[in-house]
Amino acid sequence: MGRYIIRRLLQAIPLLLIISVILFVLSVRMGDPLSTFGGRTVIRSEDRKRLTRQLGLDQPLYVQYTIWLVGNDWMRLDLDGDGKPDVGEDGKPVYGTRKGVLRGDLGTSFTTKQPVTEMIAQRLPNTLLLMLTSEVVILIAALIIGLVSALRQYSIFDHTVTALSFIGLSMPIPLLALGLIYIFAVYFKRWGLPYFPTGGMFDPQAGPGWQQTLWHMALPVAAISIISVAGYSRFVRASMLEVIGQDYIRTARAKGLAERSVVFVHALKNAALPLVTIVGLDLPFLLAGAVVTETIFAWPGMGRLFYDHTTRSDFPVLMGIIMIISVAVVIFQIITDLTYTYLDPRIRYD
Amino acid sequence: MRNRLFAALSGLMILSMLLSACAPAATPVPPTQAPAQPAQPTPPPPPTKPPAPTNTPAPTATPKPKVVRVTFQQEPDSLNPLYSTMWYVAVLKDMYLATGLLTFNDKNQPIPWIAKEMPTKANGGISADDKVITFKLRDDVKWSDGTPLTADDYVFTWQMTMADKNTVQSRDPFDTYVEKVEAKDKTTLVVTFKEPYAPWQAKIFTNVNGSQAIPKHILEPVFKKDGTLDKAEWNRKPTVGAGPFVLKDWQTGSHLIFQANPNFWLGKPKVDQVFIKIVPDDAAQLAAMKAGDTDFGVFVSYQDMPEIEKIGTFNLVVAPSGYKESWFMNLSTRADKTKGHPALQDVNVRKAIVMAVDREKIIKELLGGRTKVAVTFWDGTPYADPSAKALAYDPEGAKKLLDEAGWKVGADGIRAKGGVKLKLRYATTTKDVRKNTQVLVQQMLKDVGVAVDLLNHSSDIFWNSYGDKGPIATGQYDIAEWSTCPSFPDPDSAGWLCKEVPSDQNPAGGNWQFFCDKDLDALFNKQATTVDATARVPIFYEISKIINDKVYWNSMWDDPDWWAVSKNMVNVKLSGATPFWNAYEWDIK
Repeated sequence: MGRYIIRRLLQAIPLLLIISVILFVLSVRMGDPLSTFGGRTVIRSEDRKRLTRQLGLDQPLYVQYTIWLVGNDWMRLDLDGDGKPDVGEDGKPVYGTRKGVLRGDLGTSFTTKQPVTEMIAQRLPNTLLLMLTSEVVILIAALIIGLVSALRQYSIFDHTVTALSFIGLSMPIPLLALGLIYIFAVYFKRWGLPYFPTGGMFDPQAGPGWQQTLWHMALPVAAISIISVAGYSRFVRASMLEVIGQDYIRTARAKGLAERSVVFVHALKNAALPLVTIVGLDLPFLLAGAVVTETIFAWPGMGRLFYDHTTRSDFPVLMGIIMIISVAVVIFQIITDLTYTYLDPRIRYD
Repeated sequence: MRNRLFAALSGLMILSMLLSACAPAATPVPPTQAPAQPAQPTPPPPPTKPPAPTNTPAPTATPKPKVVRVTFQQEPDSLNPLYSTMWYVAVLKDMYLATGLLTFNDKNQPIPWIAKEMPTKANGGISADDKVITFKLRDDVKWSDGTPLTADDYVFTWQMTMADKNTVQSRDPFDTYVEKVEAKDKTTLVVTFKEPYAPWQAKIFTNVNGSQAIPKHILEPVFKKDGTLDKAEWNRKPTVGAGPFVLKDWQTGSHLIFQANPNFWLGKPKVDQVFIKIVPDDAAQLAAMKAGDTDFGVFVSYQDMPEIEKIGTFNLVVAPSGYKESWFMNLSTRADKTKGHPALQDVNVRKAIVMAVDREKIIKELLGGRTKVAVTFWDGTPYADPSAKALAYDPEGAKKLLDEAGWKVGADGIRAKGGVKLKLRYATTTKDVRKNTQVLVQQMLKDVGVAVDLLNHSSDIFWNSYGDKGPIATGQYDIAEWSTCPSFPDPDSAGWLCKEVPSDQNPAGGNWQFFCDKDLDALFNKQATTVDATARVPIFYEISKIINDKVYWNSMWDDPDWWAVSKNMVNVKLSGATPFWNAYEWDIK
């Protein structure tokens, strides 16, 4: 088992390197970070020439990638564009300041000039709060709904849930999110019912606090959950139906075991194995946040960070976020595979 | 045994939390407290004591703090004026920095701000050769930490703008026009220009653009230590400023909180706090307005206006910003990919294309009739020629002009000449109102025999330069539409010059129409050095005559800024150039 883990980790390293090269080439080639630097008009040509030099965008692609990976504190800079390496006021040569990704320096954003690690660290807790809560709600709701649906197949409950699932699955999230805002925030307030806020993480006059955060989290979590619950509950239902029809369930019932024991011990455990796989693969993408939900509910998360900086072609930030997610995906895939062996004794790796 | 599944699932969840939690606290409670409300149970003075002269509350019923809530659609990238050209940051600077020598009022006229009076030739502020401008500063302005604001702060700002280690957004106009900036004494600032520079009122240390003064006593030590201002903490938390409000907190992606500055030189503002909420989505902003969660809506779109009027608690305020939704035609004759359609070389064809489009109808249908066609590029400023007239909608006249130019209607209904069809590429961004405009225009042009291909590019690609293969900068269009303005509130504009034509040798060029008109060039060069505003105005009358006669530009509609201001707000005067210039006078009921 230990050797298996080490082997998977070693395989992951070249994979991550290749991913980073492909993404780097794509981001640099497909965007022009300076196009938004003019504010509401086009950037001046003098500023464009100077900034291209100062931000290192005039270097060849492989040099830019190398700097991104290993930093440039071993390279001499030429920021004034005179062709000669710069010399500081004290006469000493001027070196770069970046340490590179391999030493933990994800670079600096072109637009905010903040270190990328700092920007991600500010937004990540907000995203995790939202996404993990949603994931828990989704799992609980999907298991319950799927279970009951499967046990009472073709009952009224089952038909209703099926219909709602199809509606939920086809609903585009902006429509759902705006609908929730209008019903629970705008109209409930007008009708004098207890209402929810329209967005943000807290009310300006009330100030931040855990009650404010919970109250503001309710609608975004509902928006994310409704659509996923629709999908997952179908999945759990189908899985349960398949398992309930198996011979060993009939044997368990024939042995006289209580129905509750049959359902929860024998059936649900086996039906939920594929669900573990899906959850395991979903978890790394929780880091990416939900762009549309965060935009509509003005929730300051990673999804919005990514989207805001994509529109400005700010590729240090984009590369930083994507690499973190890639690393998380690789790690979680390994963990999911290992969890599978733990749960299902039939599966073994050598 | 059943616990295995539960354990596995919870294990995965906990592991994901551990692996990705950077901060020990999982709850994202912002570190600062809520604004000091008078009702807070911090050591309260007993009601029998007389009210202390400091900030302890009065013993009688304490009023709620006056909070103005504004919704912004984009997050500021940096609050240091040197590092941001975002409009949203320009708006906020009036609140927390406000160190411009001049500002602009709601009629977009320049007025003195930190400067005691407007420099003119008469009071010696402008030298005889127009190359030296002297500003006399007020002596009663202090930074919010008590340090006096002096001319040294402006000299420092100039030095920082020009320093090579600072990746400032723009050095305009210091790199091309300014010779030096000196402080003769604490309240006298002397700016020497290489050539007479006409746009000085809008561009030199004013509240409009990037070059407001930054605090020398805070940032000079940072520059000496780090060698650069790029990563200064003040850029993200400018807690020292000279404006009516001071930044209290900024949670990225979420909000900014500004607290009233009791030491502001015009007196403490009546409003206690301004809360800027970042709400990126138009529809969510509208919902917030309906629920009463905001007092100020920004960039209201024309489609939302009837709804907002229905809510009844908002006034729609228009602030001319100089922007005009414009058409530019590709006049390139180079034998490469930039080449425009040969028909556009004929000024009568260009006129006919404009005459074939019923712009009033488009404005009525798509914009609710709330704006109008702009006649000159300088409408809304004193430099617009009042006698200029827009080309009227005249499809028959257009057909006649096209026939006379030799473009005859073919069997398929499309005009052709010498085997070349009159088929034009009409390019713009992906904004809905523009896509709808394209559809209407396509039909109107088809009616006069001109075929149109519609092209749309997302805005992050649309603005790419020639060097970055931007679709407009490389001439892959015949008619391009976007909203632009001169250097508002100054009339200067660079995209019309011959030297700005992009090419492989000049990949950053801004003349994306690829044309060179020597007469126009001469006039633009003349206005740039005419420091006297009254002499400058007639030059622009001549310029707009050439531009309109030769159809180097056409306006679809005037594109001012629309604000939705709550009816509870009092004394709000919005300027197109410096929107929040009178924030210190605001009040809220």
